[in-house]
Amino acid sequence: MKLLDTMFDRTVTGLGKAMDLTWKRNQALTANIANAETPLYRAVDVSFAKELDSAFGHIDSTVARTDTRHLDLSSNTSAHTVADESGATKPDGNNVDVDLQMGRLAQNAGDYMNAAKLIRRQLGLIRTAIRTGER
Amino acid sequence: MLSAIEVLSSGLSTARMRVNVLASNIANAETTRTPEGGPYKRKDVVQTAKDIPGTFSNALDRMTLKKPMVAAVMEDQSEPKLVYQPGHPDANQQGYVAYPNINVVSTMTDLMSASRLYQANVTAIETARNMQSEASRILTQA
Repeated sequence: MKLLDTMFDRTVTGLGKAMDLTWKRNQALTANIANAETPLYRAVDVSFAKELDSAFGHIDSTVARTDTRHLDLSSNTSAHTVADESGATKPDGNNVDVDLQMGRLAQNAGDYMNAAKLIRRQLGLIRTAIRTGER
Repeated sequence: MLSAIEVLSSGLSTARMRVNVLASNIANAETTRTPEGGPYKRKDVVQTAKDIPGTFSNALDRMTLKKPMVAAVMEDQSEPKLVYQPGHPDANQQGYVAYPNINVVSTMTDLMSASRLYQANVTAIETARNMQSEASRILTQA
């Protein structure tokens, strides 16, 4: 990991973690959409901030975290599902608001793809640096 | 990685089941005679949520995701609607014909909402596929 850290600095690692977390959120949102008509089903979401708060104790990253909402690049990311009470409960005990979930799904997928594009750009820069040595 | 698509496939399957059952109810709203005897009985889908088989990473992350499942298709047990139609081949001695307990208008709206939900599942599958192909593009075009 030391080699990877020095080679790819923190950008690629951080973006990779961002992709990991947004993928997990995608799973939670898709479960809500699939269960939009399941009686008694309660919507879930993924919380990252709380996990990152609990990992606040040890920072040895080169990036300073001036806000608890910043990604902690030093800790292993882990996400967990939390209850999502944003939708109104229907008569069958289900509280999934499909429109809301679809909107979040689109937003979250956009975040994921942007992180992937940034990784690609960053790796492209490293490749440029390597190619420069050939001349 | 694929569990999102697995959950959505279950969503498609249950939504399709719902559409099939609702379509059968609409088609048979006026059926007064069945092989089992009596009028057609309205069918209702009983849907439950089942925990998806726990993967290691899900256990580690305390991710508890559920996929929808059709638990059963139940027949309506209520009394049939009686309509006074003397002379109808299925009329009883008092001249009443037993019709299924089906409200076509509310069944149609249920059908529309089920087919919208099916579309929502398809869109979410497309989203997951786009995300995966974007991730694999890191490998091919880095």
